Amino acid sequence: MGFLGKGLFQGMAVTARNFVGTYFDRGTREKLVTYQYPEEKPPLPENSRSFPFLVYDGTPDAMRCVACKICETECPPQCIYIVMDRDEKGKPQQRPKVFDIDISVCMQCQICVEVCPFEAIKMDNDYEKSQYGRFDDLIEHLPDLLKSNEYYNEIKPTEAKAVDAKLKAEAEKKAKKGTSKPAAAAPAKPAAPAPAPKPATAPAGKITIPEDAPFTAEQRAWLAGFLSAGGVATSGTGVSPVAVAETTGETPVPLPEATPAAEAPAGGWPWHDPGLGMSQRMDLVKAAPLADKLMAAMAQTDCHACGYDCRGYADAIAAGSETDLSLCLPGEAETAKKLEELMKEAGKL
Amino acid sequence: MIQQISPIPTGMIETQTIEVSIGPQHPSTHGVFRMDAVLDGETVVGLKPVMGYLHRNHEQLAERMTWLASIPYTDRLDYFNSMTNNWALCLSVEKLAGIKVPERAEYIRVIVSELTRILNHSCVIGFMLQDLGAWGTPLLYAFREREKILDLFESLSGARMMCNYMRFGGVRVDMTDAMVAQAKDIVAKFPRFLDEFEQLLSNNEVLLARCQKVGILPKELAINASISGPMARASGVDYDIRKVDKYGVYGRFDFRVPLGEVGDVYDRYYIRVLEMRESIKILNQALRDLPAGAFVAPEVKLRNFKIPPGDGYGRVEAPKGELGFYLVSDEGGKMPYRYHCRPPSFINLTTLEDMCLGHKVADVVIILGSVDIVLGEVDR
Ligand code: SF4
Ligand code: SF4
Repeated sequence: MGFLGKGLFQGMAVTARNFVGTYFDRGTREKLVTYQYPEEKPPLPENSRSFPFLVYDGTPDAMRCVACKICETECPPQCIYIVMDRDEKGKPQQRPKVFDIDISVCMQCQICVEVCPFEAIKMDNDYEKSQYGRFDDLIEHLPDLLKSNEYYNEIKPTEAKAVDAKLKAEAEKKAKKGTSKPAAAAPAKPAAPAPAPKPATAPAGKITIPEDAPFTAEQRAWLAGFLSAGGVATSGTGVSPVAVAETTGETPVPLPEATPAAEAPAGGWPWHDPGLGMSQRMDLVKAAPLADKLMAAMAQTDCHACGYDCRGYADAIAAGSETDLSLCLPGEAETAKKLEELMKEAGKL
Repeated sequence: MIQQISPIPTGMIETQTIEVSIGPQHPSTHGVFRMDAVLDGETVVGLKPVMGYLHRNHEQLAERMTWLASIPYTDRLDYFNSMTNNWALCLSVEKLAGIKVPERAEYIRVIVSELTRILNHSCVIGFMLQDLGAWGTPLLYAFREREKILDLFESLSGARMMCNYMRFGGVRVDMTDAMVAQAKDIVAKFPRFLDEFEQLLSNNEVLLARCQKVGILPKELAINASISGPMARASGVDYDIRKVDKYGVYGRFDFRVPLGEVGDVYDRYYIRVLEMRESIKILNQALRDLPAGAFVAPEVKLRNFKIPPGDGYGRVEAPKGELGFYLVSDEGGKMPYRYHCRPPSFINLTTLEDMCLGHKVADVVIILGSVDIVLGEVDR
């Protein structure tokens, strides 16, 4: 087996071969793997992920996110914080007012992307996120997070094309089904700054809140919303949830069962407000039929995570066409338990 | 346990043992890990591993979140081998929930796991030689090869190390033809690198002198201490979960389990070289037979995933040894009632003292290197 030190010489030969080899290997990068980083960036594969961002179509107002908070619930390290937007009357607007992601906590796991039913949140591939501050600078707010669909198409062409096709198919299906409804609702109409539909002074017989009543602006807004939504029957002053759903444009269709019933009664559904607690909502439906009771048990976000809106899901359960009582994600265990209780009460379980 | 073994005949010179703390911030402890060594001159007469500096409460965290949400956390256990970690958890959950995994997903899992094994073993050898004093060269050669595998993992899963790739009932994204070609390319070129690596190392006189007959782990002790993985096989214990359990589709591949004779550091080095060669064999077969079809079981829901009450233990042959998860689900079933992780490097580390006693303090470093620990997994 040769002389002592043969192994050493062999090793030296390998090192020398590699040393020389790098000079002849600039094209294939078989041996030479160093990138001169800030000047030269390695190409990123399409799947590569860094932090999440929110997609919008056209203008930033037409964001796809409906603030259903599913991603907030599912995010493993709990680094998402969402507050749903409301108009001055306290009506939920199906869009986030606050959407924060703490990127010092985010573990880039992509679970928010996988669970979002609306294709609203996607993974970016921008990894240069260093900041000087340790606290506030590392929290991304809604304006930082919003990026256009074009940008998404640019960084992840294949994936974005598939998503676009899927959304288009959904929209077409919706257009076909919703012929009875005015399909002309402008999709990109910004919801928040829209002129307040029907101020509290309009129709006769409407209860108005006296100017000198001892309420803060916030309480006043909530109360106004509550009253107009049908606490007292008036002639269609309430902005029904369906109308809101139409203005935001992007929500998937309610299923067929849901369509006929989804027209809100003139007064709207007073319990259809995610701001109310479960017991408050149940108080409002004490004397109502089963479907209303079931609906009041939902989380009232109309997030479609169950495949319906809140009304549709309740109707489907009441009609017996849906048997899974645990589909309401934002409502979590509370809703599931309540639904079971209500069904038992009604003798249907 | 500290023994007073004095190699110097009594009556000649009065000597005292001295306690030295190696680590927790020491380049050769592979992370934040401390060894409390008692030395008599240069000889180790006692050694106590001190761990827990990197404890992150993985098990308790997992009991507070959904089944799905713990998958990305398993990436952070043994951060070199996130693919096998994912697989271990998914396998346990699938066992517990009775989920059937589609063929293609099983093959993809085998492919990524064997690539992970190659990646891990080549780096371990690099690190071990780094500890021996071979600064840089072998490690960087290993890293160069690892880089190619990580590139594939990035285009497949989106991340180089924290892959978060597997899901209950399959994998998250499909392997495209381009990626299969890339994998085939890596596999085809790897034996050449391995030959070169062996030329550089296997007959090197310095390596032989430093590694042979150092840190011997007897077969009986390996069995009694429940050592697993390459370390047990280097001591001659014929135990490979891929052969014993035949989980996934491992039963279909033709490969051998290399065994060591002496159980010293050199055997532990060489067993890894041989295992890489066997992995190449498995990869060649898996890439050849990769069937078409679904890559994830369609009936498994992402949200609202629930498991009926029960318990189960699933284990895989991770590159470092037997990685298993013991899971208990109670009524509700949204999150585990109990979640226990059996980490191979933690259990392999328990024999450190037995291997080190009587050796010089410089040998402790390579003995530790040959155990192959990752502190993310030891401390969890
Ligand atoms: S799951 Fe999607 S739609 Fe719902 S809040 Fe998150 S990003 Fe918005
Ligand atoms: S990527 Fe993961 S950690 Fe980050 S926001 Fe999404 S779910 Fe949370």
